[in-house]
Amino acid sequence: MRLSPQKTGIILILPAVLLICSLLVYPVVYGIWLSFFKKHSFFPDQKFAGLANYLYLMRDPDFWMSVWYGTVYSVSTIVLQIVIGIIAALILNEAFRGRNFVRGVVLFPYMIPTVVAIILWKWLLNNQFGLVNYLLLAIGVVENPVSWMGKDHIMTSLIIISVWEFFPFVVLSVLARLQTIPLDLYEAAKVDGASAWSRFIHVTLPQLRNVLFVVILLRSIWMFTKFDTVWLLTQGGGAEKYIRTLPVYAYMRTFMYYQAGLGATLAVIMFGILIVSTMIYFRMFRREEEI
Amino acid sequence: MKSKNAFLSLRGQVIYWSAAILLVAAAFPFFWMVSTSFKPLREIFVSPPYFFPKDFTLANFDRLFEQTRFLIYFKNSLFVSSSAVVLTMTIASLGAYSLTRFKFYGREKIASLILFTYMFAPIMIVIPFYVLIRKIGIANTHFALIMAYTAFCLPFSLWLLRAFFQSIPMVLEEAALTDGAGRIRAVIYVILPLALPGIIATGIFTFILAWNDYIFVRILITSDELKTLSVGIADLYNATVIDWGMIMAGGMLITVPVLVFFVFIQRYLIAGWGTGTIKG
Repeated sequence: MRLSPQKTGIILILPAVLLICSLLVYPVVYGIWLSFFKKHSFFPDQKFAGLANYLYLMRDPDFWMSVWYGTVYSVSTIVLQIVIGIIAALILNEAFRGRNFVRGVVLFPYMIPTVVAIILWKWLLNNQFGLVNYLLLAIGVVENPVSWMGKDHIMTSLIIISVWEFFPFVVLSVLARLQTIPLDLYEAAKVDGASAWSRFIHVTLPQLRNVLFVVILLRSIWMFTKFDTVWLLTQGGGAEKYIRTLPVYAYMRTFMYYQAGLGATLAVIMFGILIVSTMIYFRMFRREEEI
Repeated sequence: MKSKNAFLSLRGQVIYWSAAILLVAAAFPFFWMVSTSFKPLREIFVSPPYFFPKDFTLANFDRLFEQTRFLIYFKNSLFVSSSAVVLTMTIASLGAYSLTRFKFYGREKIASLILFTYMFAPIMIVIPFYVLIRKIGIANTHFALIMAYTAFCLPFSLWLLRAFFQSIPMVLEEAALTDGAGRIRAVIYVILPLALPGIIATGIFTFILAWNDYIFVRILITSDELKTLSVGIADLYNATVIDWGMIMAGGMLITVPVLVFFVFIQRYLIAGWGTGTIKG
C-alpha cells in the first residue's frame, strides 16, 4: 500500500499537532472558560459567575499592586539585560586570548536550574554570613549589613539575580549576529573617519536591529510571565509581598486560596496584556523584514 | 587590529579587563557554591571568609545522601527528563520532516500555530492544565509531567528541527529515491545521519528545560517520593534551619549534568545556530 505524499505529510505531523492542540491550546481556551466561573481548585463544584472575577480584580488593590510590581520587575530587568547583554557581546566579539573559554562560561548562568541560581544568591546575599555583605562592610560602602531579603531591598535583589540569570540569552543572540556583520562595513566607516562610538551607532546597531527586535520580544514575554525565579525568592523571607508580580499572584490565588477561577482570570489578563502589547510592538517596529 | 607588542594597547587592556570582569561576574557565584560545598561547618560561617576550604571535607555530601531523598529525586529527574526527550524528539523529528518535505493543505497554518504556541509561558497554562489533569485523574504521576514537558517543548523543538531539516538539500534524498531506495531507507541512510547533530542538540535543549523545570513539578506532583530535583531542593531549603553546606552540595550536583550537556552544545550555540531558541 502506498500513501500519497499529501497523506504521508499529514500523518507525520499529526501527533505533534494533536499534542500541541490538546495540551497547550486547549488549556488556554479552557482557562478563558474557567475565568467566567467560581471554581475551587480541588473540588469539582463550580458556579457560573459571568464577569464577576474580572470585576472583583478591578477593585482588588492586591491585583493593582501586582501589576505595578510586575511592570517594575519586567521593565527594569529587560532594559538591564539588553544593555549589559549587548556590551558583553561586543567585548566577546573582540579578539583576545581565552575568548572561547570566556564565551562558554558567560552562558553558564542561563543554563543552570533556577532553583540553583536562587539558593546560590540567597547564600551570597545572606545578611549575616553572606559574602556580599562581608565585602561591602570590608570596603566601607555600608556601615551595617544590608538586609537583601528585607522589604526595602528584595526587589533590587530580585532584579540583580534575574539580570544575572538571563543576560546570557542576549549575549548569545547578539554575538551570533555580530559575527556575521561584514568587516568591510567597519573598514569603510574607518576610512570615513568615524569614531568607535559612531561606528557602533551607525554600523553595528542598524545591523543588530532585526535580532534585537526578536530578542526584546521574547525576553519581554518571558520576563513578564516569569514565575519560578520570583516565587522561589519569595520563600521564607517575610517580604514576599514586595515582589508579588502577576504570575505569582495568579499562582497564590489558585494554589493557596484555592480560587482556580480567579487564578485563571489572572492568567487570561496576562495573556491579554501580552497579545495587545505584542501587536503594538509589531506595529511600531516591524518593517518588512522576516523574523 | 592585533598589535604584537609586549605591552597591550590601551584598547587591548580595556578589552582584557572587561572580559575579566565578565568572567568573574558569571562564574564567581558557582565557584562560591562549589567552595562552600566542600567546607566543614565552622568554615562556612567564619569571618573573614576563606575562598578555598582549608579543611576539605565531603561531610556535606554525606548528609545530603543519608539524611535526604536526594538520590530518589535525582533518579526521578533523570527518568522524567529522558522520557520527555525521547518522546519530544520522536514526535518533533517526524513533524519537522513532514513540514520540510511534503506539501499539504494547511502546512503554513500549522507552522504559524507552532510559532504562536512557542510564545506560551508555563504560568499561562498551568492553572487550567492542573484542573484538567485532576479531572482526568493523572495528577501526581510522572506520566503527567512527561506529557507536560513534551507538549511544552514541542513548539521550539519543531521550530529548530524545521530550520535544521531545511538546510539538508532535498537533492540528496531524491538521488537515493531514484536509485530505487524506498523513502524509509532514504530517510534512515541519507537524512538521519545528516540531521543527527541537530536532533542531538535540540534533544539537549529539551533535556535542560525539563531538568530545570520547577513549576510543573510543583503543581503536578504532591508525593515526596515522586518529586524531581528542583522541587526537592527547594523544599529542603524551606524545611528547617538551613544547612548551607548541604544545600550547596545539592545545588552543585544538580548543575553538573546540565553543564556536561552544555559543553556538548556549546559550539552550536556559539556558531549562532539555534539563536533565540531555548525558553526561559
